[in-house]
Amino acid sequence: MTELIDRPPLADQPPSPTAELLRVRELGVAFGERVAVRGVDFALGAGESLGIVGESGSGKSTTALALLRMLPPGGRITGGAVELDGQDLAALPEEALRAVRGQRIAMVFQDPMSSLNPVLSVGRQLDEALRAHGGRRPRAERAARAAELLELVGVPKAADRLGDFPHQFSGGQRQRIMIALALAHDAQVLVADEPTTALDPTVQRQILRLLARINRERGTALVVISHDLGVIAETCSRLLVMRDGEVVERGATARLLTAPEHAYTRSLLAAVPRLDAPSRAAGNSTPGAEPLLVVRGLAKAYGPRRRRSPALESVDLDLHPGETLGLVGESGSGKSTLARALVGAHAPDAGSISFAGQPLDGRRARREVQMVFQDPYASLNPRLTVGRIIAEPLIAHKVGDRAQRQARVAELLEQVGLEASAAARSPREFSGGQRQRIGIARALAPEPSVLVCDEPVSALDVSIQAQVIDLLARLQRELGLAVLFIAHDLAVVRQVSHRIAVLHRGRIVESGPADRVVTSPEHPYTAELLAAVPSLSPATSGSLL
Amino acid sequence: MTTISLPPAARSRSGNRSRNRYVAGLRTWRGVTGLVLVGTVALAGLLAPWLTGADPDAQGPQALAAPSGAHPLGTDDIGRDLLSRVLHGILTDLSIILTAVPAGALTGAALALLAGTSRAADLVVQRLFDLVLSFPGLILGLAVTAILGPGRWPVVIIIALAEVPYFGRQLRAGVLVQREREYALAARVGGAGRARVLLRHVLPNAVDPLVVQGAVALSAGVFIEGALSFLGLGVRPPEPTLGSLISGSVAYLDTHPVLAAPLAVTTALVLGFTLLAEALNRGART
Amino acid sequence: MRTFLFKRLPSGLAVLLAASFTVFLMLRLIPGDPATTLAGPDASPATVAAIRERLGLDAPLLSQYLHWLGQVLTGDLGPSYAIGGQVSELIGDGLAATFQLTLAALLLVVLLAVPTALYAVSARRRALAGALRALTTGALAVPPFVTGVLLVLAFAVGLGLLPAGGHASLFDAPDLAVQYLALPALCLALPSAAILARYLQDGLERALGEDYVRTATALGVPRRRILWRHALPNALPSAVTVLGLQIGQLIAGAVVVERIFAWPGLGQLIEQGVSRRDYPVVQDLLLLVVAGYVAVQLLTDLLYSWLDPRVRWE
Repeated sequence: MTELIDRPPLADQPPSPTAELLRVRELGVAFGERVAVRGVDFALGAGESLGIVGESGSGKSTTALALLRMLPPGGRITGGAVELDGQDLAALPEEALRAVRGQRIAMVFQDPMSSLNPVLSVGRQLDEALRAHGGRRPRAERAARAAELLELVGVPKAADRLGDFPHQFSGGQRQRIMIALALAHDAQVLVADEPTTALDPTVQRQILRLLARINRERGTALVVISHDLGVIAETCSRLLVMRDGEVVERGATARLLTAPEHAYTRSLLAAVPRLDAPSRAAGNSTPGAEPLLVVRGLAKAYGPRRRRSPALESVDLDLHPGETLGLVGESGSGKSTLARALVGAHAPDAGSISFAGQPLDGRRARREVQMVFQDPYASLNPRLTVGRIIAEPLIAHKVGDRAQRQARVAELLEQVGLEASAAARSPREFSGGQRQRIGIARALAPEPSVLVCDEPVSALDVSIQAQVIDLLARLQRELGLAVLFIAHDLAVVRQVSHRIAVLHRGRIVESGPADRVVTSPEHPYTAELLAAVPSLSPATSGSLL
Repeated sequence: MTTISLPPAARSRSGNRSRNRYVAGLRTWRGVTGLVLVGTVALAGLLAPWLTGADPDAQGPQALAAPSGAHPLGTDDIGRDLLSRVLHGILTDLSIILTAVPAGALTGAALALLAGTSRAADLVVQRLFDLVLSFPGLILGLAVTAILGPGRWPVVIIIALAEVPYFGRQLRAGVLVQREREYALAARVGGAGRARVLLRHVLPNAVDPLVVQGAVALSAGVFIEGALSFLGLGVRPPEPTLGSLISGSVAYLDTHPVLAAPLAVTTALVLGFTLLAEALNRGART
Repeated sequence: MRTFLFKRLPSGLAVLLAASFTVFLMLRLIPGDPATTLAGPDASPATVAAIRERLGLDAPLLSQYLHWLGQVLTGDLGPSYAIGGQVSELIGDGLAATFQLTLAALLLVVLLAVPTALYAVSARRRALAGALRALTTGALAVPPFVTGVLLVLAFAVGLGLLPAGGHASLFDAPDLAVQYLALPALCLALPSAAILARYLQDGLERALGEDYVRTATALGVPRRRILWRHALPNALPSAVTVLGLQIGQLIAGAVVVERIFAWPGLGQLIEQGVSRRDYPVVQDLLLLVVAGYVAVQLLTDLLYSWLDPRVRWE
């Protein structure tokens, strides 16, 4: 990778961390009547890095957007100041603000796919960023600079790729391009709002490294917003913890991780699964000796006949009753294809799935194998009541009459920790965690013996994550379920699984007891995955800096 | 066992947020204006027998009479009472579009669902829509009239046929999107058969855009009826329709401005439907 | 381009072929065959049979169809039944007039719609944007036959500025031709211009609410430039599709407009053909319109894929 600096601005004179480059005073933001952020107050020196962490609804992203006065429609800054070098951005006229945005303070957004213009080439977009400030530079000079920027953020063969469009890049590369745009004018402050949320752990690690390198080598002050404490702990030297629009705790990252003062910070830290904590699955249930579900040589390919791309090459799996098998893989590894094949949603091209010694056909699969989905919003039919959603499998399998089904729904709701009265309501009225409970109740309705959980907690806040994991553990204990727990987060998987299997490009590259796979991985890919997991140990805080 | 307490009961009874959005759309100035326009015109048509005693087809002694007590809007070029003809014309138009549009919508929806059953069916249905759409607007009308001749039913068939691909394509697109949503997979995993997933889960979530299309289609229906009548290929005389009234009055408009009444009524009706479509569309998008 | 050549072009041709067969079959469905119509009510069965044989109506359907396709491909369409003269000549006479009319209307559509949409989106004064919106709604709500009548009343009868109807050759008397063209073209263009303006405005508004516009704003790109260089390229592809569909409406609308303004084009011809049951004329004109429209659709698709790289690279 090339050096970051084309004209070393700060190589000889390291930034003084005491200088107040960005000073936020008593910032308040409201959407209509609803207060989203109140009394946020912090200072950032040149070359410093600050993390803002919080769960959904904490106001962290709103704070980030308010720094550039880029609130979505309906939002307004109700008070306070955002001073950049003494200049209050919150009070600046629009044209003066435009001159600051992208030049002195820049932003990297969460979803690089939607944040890049789909019909403009990457070169054009970089060019747009370059010509937004600083007079007219000749076209050739801008093109050279655009290539330089792209190379800077680690896009291979940068000069050749300027004519390509965003959809021709991978997710990680798109985020790199976003960062290149933000770097166009060597801004003093870079605000990154959930910069790695949709990315795989290994890609996430690369992006975080890049941000840290920019911070270190260019002296760009960094503000990173994330829901993931691990992400922030490794990239930022100082932390703000937000909840309900307010800062509840602030301090040096190492201190916050070891000695949190506020009860909320403590509970947040406690809820984060640790990779170094041993598996708790053995204390939960003991798997049976005979495998319940046996998968052999499963293969599946997608696409038109000529250019089929394999999603699963050849997968062998055993799942025992009462066992939780953790299946780890990044996007494109084939984990969702595997899950869908197991529940009979599509037929595999080759291989066999047998259940209790017999081939698993569609009808049997639909009773014995049920699924819990990732997205608690998309997986519940918005047109049906909760009761009807849970009763649907019962109706489909012609179980009981109306009254019996009603009683069963009430029983299931209580089993997953919801009131029976929830049945009459719409799923819209429930939070993400509650919706996930509804999804679990639906999966339990036909009394399955296998539960396939496809990323069941990755869309949830950490505190809610912990609750749903506890629920799944309890259900396994009570019902003796076999669980296939699919996730990308190794720490969660280790915590809940008896065994772990690692899926990579449609093949299981490694499987074994959960603790063994994590502590002494045999396959290099497993080791790579493990190295990418952000760590919360104070020893590694700010390790990327 | 711990039970998580539920959020306080939401403002409205479950499930129908999308319905409410349409209602909210209708409450905007566009929606209200549209409702008032359509409502007034429709009511005038429905109450025609009570609003006027005159026979719309009876020819009086005086052609092109000025408005008077006996003829509030005067008479047309062959001495028929204009008010009565306008009111009955509204009735004819309404009866035509209210037969044709639902028929077109249902046929289109049925074809879209058929397309949802298999790849081959999808291909056939799509080409069928393409075929109908390859006769643009009024040209389709002329083609059908060439076979069936002018008349009331040909007009109904033309309007219905013209709307089939619009409803069908929209529903097909909706079905394709909704079918890939996780809740549809969940229903399938829960044991529901293909037909049940399509009809009970996917369809209710995909029909919403058809509401907007319905309002658009109603205004298009008035357009098509009018254009066909204007060309003398619509409903057979002497039955009054808005289009034939306009067509008949054109020649005398510069000397007898009151003959602009059918023109104004048609415009009000179409404007009403257009505003309703816009209001519903905006409601759906917010 | 490859996708276009291998997928869209064949499916366009398939639609065209299906449409030609439909048109052919449709006109054979009519009760009472053309020969009876042509021979007149008092003709003897022998005369009818003779006519039938002369027209090839006693041949099997498929061979009749193929014969017709052959005629279409060679351009010799045979005699008309009722209007008189050779169909090829009738169509030839009207084609130029209709082409002038629709092309002028198409130009007007683009010239009216695009600035309106851009202006409505960028207008700082909300009232102005609202007024433009109301104007487009109004243009949408008035059927073309009404607009036509109103235009004639206002410009021809009232102000006496332009002729109420008629046609002059563009080559012999250009200034007169433009005067004759102005009202019908405007009348034809208005509804389509309103629809295009509305779609483009909606597309621009949607694009302006997208994340990539937020990115551009955060980079300090000026507002005007965001509209022109970031939002417009995203709104353009679907606007082109709408424009393609509106060309169909222009062709269809020409039938009515030509009637109002006594414009001697194909619209008049097809209308006469339908009302006088001149089947060769109707059949050939329908095929011509469908062929033209399918070609327009293909061009639109090509333009779309050129404007949207996501389609281009598939």
